[in-house]
Amino acid sequence: MKSNPKKRVDAAPKTIISITGNDPNMRMDAWWWLVAAVVVVTFLLVVFQPDPYQRILIYVLDGIGLTIGVTVISFILTLIAGMIGGLGRLSKNRIISGAASLYVELIRGIPLLVQLMWWYFAFPAIIRDTGKALNIGFMANYLPDGTIMAIIGLVICYAAYMSEIYRAGIQSIPKGQMEAARSLGMTYVQAMRYVILPQAIRVILPPVGNEFVALLKDSSLVSAVALADLSRRGREFASNQALPIQTWMMVALLYLILTLVSARIVGWIERKTKFER
Amino acid sequence: MDAIIQIENVHKYFRGGIHALRGVSLEVGKGEVVVIVGPSGSGKSTLLRCINRLEQYEEGKIVVDGIPLDSAANINAVRQEVGMVFQSFNLFSHMRVIDNLTLAQRVVRKRPLEEAKAVGMDLLAKVGIPDKADAFPAQLSGGQQQRVAIARALAMNPKIMLFDEPTSALDPEMINEVLEVMLDLAREGMTMVVVSHEMGFSRAAATRVIFMDEGQIVEQGSATQIFGAPTQERTKAFLSKVLHH
Repeated sequence: MKSNPKKRVDAAPKTIISITGNDPNMRMDAWWWLVAAVVVVTFLLVVFQPDPYQRILIYVLDGIGLTIGVTVISFILTLIAGMIGGLGRLSKNRIISGAASLYVELIRGIPLLVQLMWWYFAFPAIIRDTGKALNIGFMANYLPDGTIMAIIGLVICYAAYMSEIYRAGIQSIPKGQMEAARSLGMTYVQAMRYVILPQAIRVILPPVGNEFVALLKDSSLVSAVALADLSRRGREFASNQALPIQTWMMVALLYLILTLVSARIVGWIERKTKFER
Repeated sequence: MDAIIQIENVHKYFRGGIHALRGVSLEVGKGEVVVIVGPSGSGKSTLLRCINRLEQYEEGKIVVDGIPLDSAANINAVRQEVGMVFQSFNLFSHMRVIDNLTLAQRVVRKRPLEEAKAVGMDLLAKVGIPDKADAFPAQLSGGQQQRVAIARALAMNPKIMLFDEPTSALDPEMINEVLEVMLDLAREGMTMVVVSHEMGFSRAAATRVIFMDEGQIVEQGSATQIFGAPTQERTKAFLSKVLHH
């Protein structure tokens, strides 16, 4: 028998990581100042230099919508796929955990841009070739939908990283929590749902929030597979109007606003869900 | 005497080839209070954890309340009838005390919330902390947390209670408040298997004391007999180390 460490415990094990920094409210103020500054600069440019800044903004507006849409949809799917991947890696079944590990290792070794190319160009070509070889009409003429392929690429890539975050979060919850739940007659799924995941989610919220911001930025790579997102629209405007400096400055400011505001929202959610007093 | 727990020739090996239980057989009758003592590494906690199958065993047979521990469904059925209290309390730290008490009642026993709450409040009163229903575990002392843990297990109306060193992680001044609750349970006729070196509790409540060493039951008898007149050398050696306090 492994001997139990007989340490004196006065309170339940502290499992909830504290968010770095001494006074979250102070930090919040400082970061909101930065957001405000970026918004004000953008606003001043658009109002007092409408040519070209207002024109740029109007031109790229639908790109902003696409960037946000692709990011939010991909992120929600990533949360689900990442949970499945994370639980898979923790599975006692060696085939499941092996498959999950293989997926994570493969995906993390390939650049996202290459993966997007693969889904948009190579994967449809495989379908078409197979269709031709087997004489299946709809497969032979298959043309990919750019948005769907981009979302598939982003989700499959980001879910690999997300599953590692879930795995670490679940492993950070002391074993005794699962044992207590199971000893009360709960099934594995019930114990996960009511006891382990609610605690793990609070632990993983900071890294998950970082993933959202990273995904928002990496979504600019979908411009390489013919999606008219913010970067793509910026590139079009810059080359049509020969205004590279102004256009890319505007695009950078718009991305900054999106990422800074999302980071603040993530921070706010973290504070709301903290329960360790 | 009807045996509610039957353990037959159980062997347990840990990874690395450690032979933790070497053919343990034990029967516990309904209403018995069995206290297991023994040195660290003797297999006493492992044996206790085998009874609700938190620990796997490679050989042998355990039957609890007529149900053999041989399938996932049976194991779950047994766990619903067997409460367990851990050394480190293991309260669900993201939930208030009352929610700790009602969760399993609701998802396992399918009791409606109001009924589960009523059961929970009754038990909190029984363990002496009815005012802590809305506290979070981290706001309680160790003794209070362990009493909540006992109440949480009792809320499932178990037929058997297992205690795995319930006072070992407590500061000395909190040990008695937990032992009192356990003594009350014993007086009410609860079947209990307790791993603990609290001699006072054993003398007051144990119907049988079992001494384990190196994965085997070395000796068993009444508390007076085991602590006062042990027959085996290993028991004497162990008691001489722990009895002076």
